Amino acid sequence: MENIEKKLREEAKLLLAEKRVDVIIGYEKGTLPFTATPCFITDPENAEKLVWNACCVQNLAKFVHDVISQHKESQKRVKPEDRKKKVVGVVGRGCATRSIVLHLQEKQYDRGDVVIIGVPCTGYIDGKKLAVQIGGEEVLEGSVEGDQVKVKTASGEKSITLKDVLADNCLTCRFNNPIISDIMIGENAPPMDPDHEYDEVGAFENLSTEERWAYFTKEMGKCIRCYACRQVCPSCYCKVCFVEQSQPRWVGIGADETDTQVFQLMRLFHMVGRCVDCGSCSAVCPMGVDLRKFLKKLDKDGFDLFGNRAGSSMDDPPPLSTYKENDKQDFIFDP
Amino acid sequence: MSETKTTEGWEPKIVAIVCNWCTYAGADLAGISRIQYPPNVRIVRVPCTGRINPFYVVKALQEGADGVLVSGCHPGECHYITGNLHARRKFAMLKNFLSYIGLEEDRTIFTWVSASEGERFAQVIKGVTEKVRALGPANKLVKKIA
Ligand code: SF4
Ligand code: SF4
Repeated sequence: MENIEKKLREEAKLLLAEKRVDVIIGYEKGTLPFTATPCFITDPENAEKLVWNACCVQNLAKFVHDVISQHKESQKRVKPEDRKKKVVGVVGRGCATRSIVLHLQEKQYDRGDVVIIGVPCTGYIDGKKLAVQIGGEEVLEGSVEGDQVKVKTASGEKSITLKDVLADNCLTCRFNNPIISDIMIGENAPPMDPDHEYDEVGAFENLSTEERWAYFTKEMGKCIRCYACRQVCPSCYCKVCFVEQSQPRWVGIGADETDTQVFQLMRLFHMVGRCVDCGSCSAVCPMGVDLRKFLKKLDKDGFDLFGNRAGSSMDDPPPLSTYKENDKQDFIFDP
Repeated sequence: MSETKTTEGWEPKIVAIVCNWCTYAGADLAGISRIQYPPNVRIVRVPCTGRINPFYVVKALQEGADGVLVSGCHPGECHYITGNLHARRKFAMLKNFLSYIGLEEDRTIFTWVSASEGERFAQVIKGVTEKVRALGPANKLVKKIA
């Protein structure tokens, strides 16, 4: 890891110094133990701040989209001959590059607008799992050493196996190495455990209709509609989200439980062929809503029905943007 | 709303979202030919099934429809060439997903009816009405109006 971090800083510094990029989006050390915060670096000297470790949670593709689209917006009022180009550099692990592939396929920006510094990934720590392991105590100090997580709390020190606190999506991640990159730092990381990717969905499918409905309503009942999941999602980039549209008003804004269910249902459904399973939504949810249970189903169906995995290749278009004449249609009612 | 709905004296309310060129014309033909079918459906005409936002289906369920039917041209016969082929993918995903979260499968039904199939249209409506009747009044996702 230290090696990767060192090389990452060097490359980032070089890119900025040579003005090949205007900004680098990466992670810096957070203010609390076991956190890393997304950061924007424009001064080559600041490249030293970059970190790459098991605390890097958020999918940075979100910020790539934000920065590029804001820049494009700002150039609209500038005379064409005076317009400036802005190139964004980004630290890209597997899932972030999948999101970038998706953005490119959805024509959000050009390949030339982004320089991807690929990094191998071995997953990140799920804060909620960690909290369970240490009984909800406050972490005073902590570090990751090999496959052990060392935590210091008021009641003493504890060593936890990294695997026990890795996020679910990381444990079964199929693409933990960059799909596309301009510079690759270090060697590809060993594969995670993609064979068990759909175990949870399979088990859920086998429950009865009523049990599934009970679970759905229980999970959605926790949601306070803070929209953090949407804010953090790289695939949620609509200028006006349907939840805020008022003509027509798609979904009520009150405390009605069906409005929350419908909001969730539709946001989830917007992820057909577009969810890269980076786990950012679950990670930021303050209420611990099990969003992944439902998103993973869409991923599974997308693969089962159309052989597509979101953002896994530039040549594989998003499944709802295309069709095949012989697509399955056994669900069609025939009286 | 769902509380006041009892099976007794209850008639299924079904929203049918149909395309202008095939199924709507098929419904017209059924009417012109005086073919009888249950009066439980409310038809919403759209240009093409490809124009249907899956949200329409969910919204209809939330507003108290007991069942939603979506029908368009048979594959290969779309007025806009491929609208229904795109829609087929969307609806395959939607149907699976709604049943995954725990809605009854027969609440949402997808089919094709062409402009010349007045008889088939009547059969579809009969079939859908029976299926929904068997399920009883919708009580999931239904917004209660105070
Ligand atoms: S989902 Fe994969 S690429 Fe993304 S953080 Fe987890 S292991 Fe890394
Ligand atoms: S982050 Fe969680 S609580 Fe907030 S809107 Fe999303 S699911 Fe609901």
